[in-house]
Amino acid sequence: MLLAPALLIYAVFALYPLIDVFVLSFQKWNGLAPVREFVGLENYRFILSDDPVFWQALRNTVIWTILAVLVPPLIGFILALALNQNLPGRTALRAVFYLPVVIAPIAVATMWKWMYDPFFGLFNGLLNTFGLEFLIADWLGDRRIALYSIFVGYIWQHVGFSMILFLAGLQGVQDTLIEAARIDGAGRLQVFRYVTLPAMRTSITVVLVLSLIQSLRAFDIVYGMTLGGPAQSTQMLALWAYTQSMQIHDFGKGSAVAVVLLLMTIAIVIPYMIWRSRVEEAAQ
Amino acid sequence: MSATAPRAFRQLGSDRVDPILVGLWISLIVVAVIWLVPVIFIVMTSLKSTPEVMSTAVFSPPAELFLDNYPLAWERGRYTTTFANSVIITLIKVPVGLIFSAMAAYALSRIDLPLKKMMFALILFGTMIPFQVMLAPLFSLVNKLGLLNTYLGAWLPYIAFGVPYQVFILHGFFKEVPQELSEAAIMDGASHFTILWRIFLPISLPVLAALFILDFVSTWNEFAMALVLLLDGKNWTLPLSLMAFQGEFGSDYGPLNAAIVTTVLPAVIVYLIFQRYFVGGLTAGAVKG
Repeated sequence: MLLAPALLIYAVFALYPLIDVFVLSFQKWNGLAPVREFVGLENYRFILSDDPVFWQALRNTVIWTILAVLVPPLIGFILALALNQNLPGRTALRAVFYLPVVIAPIAVATMWKWMYDPFFGLFNGLLNTFGLEFLIADWLGDRRIALYSIFVGYIWQHVGFSMILFLAGLQGVQDTLIEAARIDGAGRLQVFRYVTLPAMRTSITVVLVLSLIQSLRAFDIVYGMTLGGPAQSTQMLALWAYTQSMQIHDFGKGSAVAVVLLLMTIAIVIPYMIWRSRVEEAAQ
Repeated sequence: MSATAPRAFRQLGSDRVDPILVGLWISLIVVAVIWLVPVIFIVMTSLKSTPEVMSTAVFSPPAELFLDNYPLAWERGRYTTTFANSVIITLIKVPVGLIFSAMAAYALSRIDLPLKKMMFALILFGTMIPFQVMLAPLFSLVNKLGLLNTYLGAWLPYIAFGVPYQVFILHGFFKEVPQELSEAAIMDGASHFTILWRIFLPISLPVLAALFILDFVSTWNEFAMALVLLLDGKNWTLPLSLMAFQGEFGSDYGPLNAAIVTTVLPAVIVYLIFQRYFVGGLTAGAVKG
């Protein structure tokens, strides 16, 4: 009885669409017609061999994911280490770095799109002021750099998330241990290498996996900045699945794209869940 | 300085001011200023008229406070409607979802049920599955139920995707509550609902507050699901309205930035007031589990 409302809503509005996306990927449907036609693997054949945008989106998603796992957690880790020291005003500093996390991703996209504005935006304006005109670029309009321009906005938004989790992890590093190591003559780097880093192993894994999962979801920020353009150069799997289904009205192909993304996610989530349950059992 | 002086700039177990820490502190402040630049830039632009934006240097402060952008953005974005929609969707979804989650977490931690382990695994799995891949089937489901462009059609999927994380966190908290407490209450003839309401919810107030704040911000900011479920302009929430604003008036910089500030401000205020809870809710699940 107590379980019913949550479980029912979860089953109908989360699990059922999850199954339906698999079913749809074997069908041809425009989203409105009364009949869904079974077409076997046709949608997969199409996206894998006849759809250049799919490969572009896959490539961008892989690049994006690698960057998202490396850059924001690394910056977050450095900030967390620094903010864990005895420094005045560190609560305020933390709040500053965390602030972008609470801003709506679509608003972050709008903000950065305006900062990247080729004529009146912040970046080109600053470059102009400092006499660096040769660096001026059409940040979101140039196919070669648009993806990375979006990613800079993503870094700005996501560093705070890693930082907070690392700071929580650092609470678990025992002060007495650090003090003992220092009394034994360990230098700053040695303390870091032999005391802090081993104690942080669990939180590092957690942050990396969460960053990875989050990066596969990147949708709002790309939608808001470029809609996948110019010329599909910033297209991503999540956005392409949406575009195929909701804009081109080909639910079958869109779902096939979604299934590819889903399988990538599951391939990470399942081993992670097993690892986590082991860690938790070991802790008990 | 004596040992009782403020411990700032000192390494653990040392009484000397550490020059490296002072240098670190200065660099942190520099980075923090860089981090704030986008925010300052947006707020400043929102206070300039569009011709002034185009004619002055990017970082010159507004010559005089130009406040007309805000009423203009409010009117163009039909914010009276969209703001109300955001408030209605968020303020009903968050408490209702949280109560459902608490009920489920209680059942999973206190009542013997068949398949409990499997249900729990399913919920944990749900915390990590991106709803972004299910936008199309979600649209067709809500459409089939005739709930497109309704509040209910937004509440139900929002609750569905909020439940896993909340159940997971609350379950972790509830299972630490001493067994004797609830057993004694059952002996006295209390129903499970009473136990949940009278014992579990009051002692888990800090966790509930953290989850409430976290969920408030993410619901307020949600865009992708709203995009496929709320198609009619009169049902839009703030993020949808901002996106449309960007498309229609993207080069009218003053009002555009006023629209950004208006969209973001409520979540930022909530964050600044409830900062402590916010961080608690986030780290409780991720690190300790």
